[in-house]
Amino acid sequence: MSAGATSAPRPSVSAPLSLRDRLRARRARAVIAQRPGPLVYGILTAVFVAAVFPLYWSFLIGSGDAGTINDQARSWIPGGNFLANAAKVLENGSVNFWKAIGNSFIVSTVVSTSVVFFSTLAGYSFAKLRFRGKKGLLVFVIATMAVPTQLGVVPLFIVMSQLGWTGTLGAVIVPGLVTAFGVFWMAQYISQALPDELVEAGRIDGASMFQTFWYIGLPSARPAAAMLALFTFITTWTNFFWPFIVLDPQNPTLPVALQLLQGNYFVDYSVVLAGVLLATLPLFLLFAVAGRQLVAGIMQGAVKG
Amino acid sequence: MSSPTLVKPGRSPRRIAFSQAVGRWDIRFSPYLYISPFFLLFAVVGLFPLLYTGWVSVHDWNLIGGQGDFVGVKNFAFILGQSQFWIALRNTFSIFLLSTIPQLAIAIIIAAALDTNLRARTFWRMSVLLPYIVMPVAVTLIFSNLFGDRYGLVNTVLGQLGFDAIRFHTDVVASHLAIATMVNFRWTGYNALILLAAMQAVPRDYYEAATIDGAGRIRQFFSITIPQLRPTLIFVVITSTIGGLQIFDEPRLFDQYGQGGANHQWMTLTIYLYNLGWGQLNFGRAAAVAWLLFLIIVVIGLINLAITRRIASNEGTRK
Amino acid sequence: MKPSRRKTTVVAIAGAAVLALIATGCSTAGGSTADTNKPITLTLATFNDFGYTDALIKEFEKAHPNITVTHKKAATSNDARTNMFTKLGAGSGLADVEAIEVDWLAELMQYSNKFVPVTASDTKNRWVKWKTAAATDKKGNLIGYGTDIGPEAICYRSDLFAKAGLPTDPAAVAKLLAGDWSNYFKVGDTFAAANTGSAWFDSAGATYQGVINQVKNAYEKNDGSVIATTNPEVKKAFTSVLTASKTLSSHLQQWSPDWTAGLANGSYATMLCPGWMLGVISGNAPDVKDWKIANVFPGGGGNWGGSYLTVPKQSAYPKEASELADWLTSPAQQLKAFANAGTFPSQSATYTNKALTGATNAYFNNAETGAILIDRSKAITVAPFKGVKYFPINDALQKALTRVEDGSQSIEDSWKQFTDDVKALG
Repeated sequence: MSAGATSAPRPSVSAPLSLRDRLRARRARAVIAQRPGPLVYGILTAVFVAAVFPLYWSFLIGSGDAGTINDQARSWIPGGNFLANAAKVLENGSVNFWKAIGNSFIVSTVVSTSVVFFSTLAGYSFAKLRFRGKKGLLVFVIATMAVPTQLGVVPLFIVMSQLGWTGTLGAVIVPGLVTAFGVFWMAQYISQALPDELVEAGRIDGASMFQTFWYIGLPSARPAAAMLALFTFITTWTNFFWPFIVLDPQNPTLPVALQLLQGNYFVDYSVVLAGVLLATLPLFLLFAVAGRQLVAGIMQGAVKG
Repeated sequence: MSSPTLVKPGRSPRRIAFSQAVGRWDIRFSPYLYISPFFLLFAVVGLFPLLYTGWVSVHDWNLIGGQGDFVGVKNFAFILGQSQFWIALRNTFSIFLLSTIPQLAIAIIIAAALDTNLRARTFWRMSVLLPYIVMPVAVTLIFSNLFGDRYGLVNTVLGQLGFDAIRFHTDVVASHLAIATMVNFRWTGYNALILLAAMQAVPRDYYEAATIDGAGRIRQFFSITIPQLRPTLIFVVITSTIGGLQIFDEPRLFDQYGQGGANHQWMTLTIYLYNLGWGQLNFGRAAAVAWLLFLIIVVIGLINLAITRRIASNEGTRK
Repeated sequence: MKPSRRKTTVVAIAGAAVLALIATGCSTAGGSTADTNKPITLTLATFNDFGYTDALIKEFEKAHPNITVTHKKAATSNDARTNMFTKLGAGSGLADVEAIEVDWLAELMQYSNKFVPVTASDTKNRWVKWKTAAATDKKGNLIGYGTDIGPEAICYRSDLFAKAGLPTDPAAVAKLLAGDWSNYFKVGDTFAAANTGSAWFDSAGATYQGVINQVKNAYEKNDGSVIATTNPEVKKAFTSVLTASKTLSSHLQQWSPDWTAGLANGSYATMLCPGWMLGVISGNAPDVKDWKIANVFPGGGGNWGGSYLTVPKQSAYPKEASELADWLTSPAQQLKAFANAGTFPSQSATYTNKALTGATNAYFNNAETGAILIDRSKAITVAPFKGVKYFPINDALQKALTRVEDGSQSIEDSWKQFTDDVKALG
């Protein structure tokens, strides 16, 4: 799974460069460092528009009324009904929007806390501790990353039914408590970021294994743990398939509640799309606060993952 | 917390021996203790369901009635004899390819654009990631609306330009394109950032050397950047295989009915699985589909792995 | 602090967390029967629009101060069906009162022992006979409280009729359309010849439903054996509707966004109109003034849809839930539901009640919808047999119709695939 381009062969630069060559190299560097032209900004602007347009469209329709969607002469300036439509979503007794937000928050928080804790623990163990069978077990972890666990829905459903958990948040939380990816990610990070000497030093000072983990391992893993938490949170928040099967509209997570909007007897798209925006808002706020970290996380994942 | 004065000066030999024993046990068993929650939980919620799926798949098994007779491979034989299964397989792969190949191509272009000395770099990077935080259900509701057959925006615009309307909910390819667009909307920027990171890992002196040799930007892009990205591209393909072949949210919500179209135009394997299990209440057959899909994903994973190995070793020999 | 102590604590916490997570799910199972004064919450699950407004439910709550009712609505009957079977299989999660539709009633009757039998005082004669008979199992237990039935009339756009030079007055339209289905299609040809730009009917699927609901044993014999693919009546209905639909249909699948928009846009001039459809039309096309209803139906009378309320044995409060279902399906409340959503009562006592006989609908140009639908219900002569396989077979047939309508298959190919699909249900 190594995606790192770091193992690439480097050109030999051992021969001393002539003055002329050095001048040319400096000029080359200057060429690379120069500001990009309008083409690059054009591409990026197009991407930006593509990213924002569907959301703008939702706002446009979501701020109109039931007729807006079929009105061929509608304007491109939003109307004034967004709050009214949003209120319709929130008041809709069969959609349970507030409950859905609360549930999604609980599920995503518990799942990401659990994933981060157990992944850090296991990742530290794999990265820094010596034990018999380590290599085999790590290969197992990596192999399970490719296992589509989502396909276990049939027996999971049977088991949840027998436990009487269907319709409860537990049924959604428990299957998400650990991920192989999390363990792999933390093991990768800790093995790089935490020098062996530090662990040794801790042990020599008489700290127990767990103290070493707690006071040395954990702090060093903090940046990666934060990333893992962020991504697990988003993945859990947006997850639909299993919650859709096992939860009922009475006690939904956000995606489960959201899909109810479309199927209503009267499909009023101004309300549907207002609901879409409302449902997007929490993650949008997260994005506003932690967007930089998300970008950094994805980019690190590529190099290290 | 504990001040040194509290520590008693003289410890009895027995206590020292005891604490040494504890220390040894600590060293020996802690590693296992730390990894055990993962393995135990994974065994319960990951491994067991997969194996149990196999068990269910060789039985008559009704959602309400529960376990019935052992039927051997009857469910598998039935599924493999169904044209619906093969259509679902076709749809799944078609949507997967339509959402992977263009996505990567565009992601590379975006990454290349981001891999320049931009003004407001963080803004651009964040803007490409924005769609990632919109949940698939929401993306699908928006795009299903845009792709409405008669009154959707896309067809309205096409009509104004004098083109025929595209029948997104009827034509196989059009429906796949529409669904692939939803996937691409959400993931292209994400993958662009992964590729951007890989681009930045390409040593800058390659480009300097190429510039000295008089190679233009375009030439550099194809002869240096793209080859260097190959491992990352494979990584992205592998990760999107696992998720992409299980696609459910987008096709499920593409129309009101959620069954993948009257002619199964966009019925994917996971939709088929769901219809069998929760529509026809036939868990035995649903489990058989789950296992078949599982096998397909594993096989493709292995092929991917083989290709990756091959490329890795090729690079090794070239060195 | 001693190292070892700290460690054991944390490990204990980790262990406890796992146990707690396992325990959280367990504790939810099991219910209790409440004494009459303990405040309880009942959930009522319906789909589409039963006409159970918040005000109606408030009335019940007022009469039962200790009961709060939460009303949840599934999007479609299909969703409600999936939810019902899923939760029935799970053994928990169903609402205290669950609405079911006649099309999948038979499937559900296989599990009639999972429902609380109806014990209302007037159980025997509250509903029209066939309504009660369909929901009574072999042991004689009635498990469904009938809500509405769907006697069908024809709804039409008078503006489009005028454009095509057809009569626009409901009585004249009734006269024009009196007769069998071929007459309905023939008038459609006249309409189509006028090139109004609109279609005659909305979809083959909806029209077929009207035809097939007049067949006693369409898909299954009374013993449950499947005859769908060999029954000439099914094939004939399929072929004739599709042949007509080529030139007469707007090809908009029912409930699709385009179909909904079509109600307002005048994409089609007529549609089959069971009572519950009135609310759909007025809700989706509030600004259109030209929808009217004619007291006529091709081939006589027909019933489309209609529902029941049930009380699953899963309910923690079966007694109170039964009370709610009983109350909602009493003639008095059903009349209010009819006024709210046009859901025509299945309760025989209402047919002589002024509230029904004198009911008019302002949206449909003050048509006497009550009297019209009573007439239409009297015209129903066939109670179609709907067995265990009715729902999946009809679903497959609807898809077959759509395949031809959207141009992806010929009538013959689509029929062939339908027969395969029916075989696959086996």
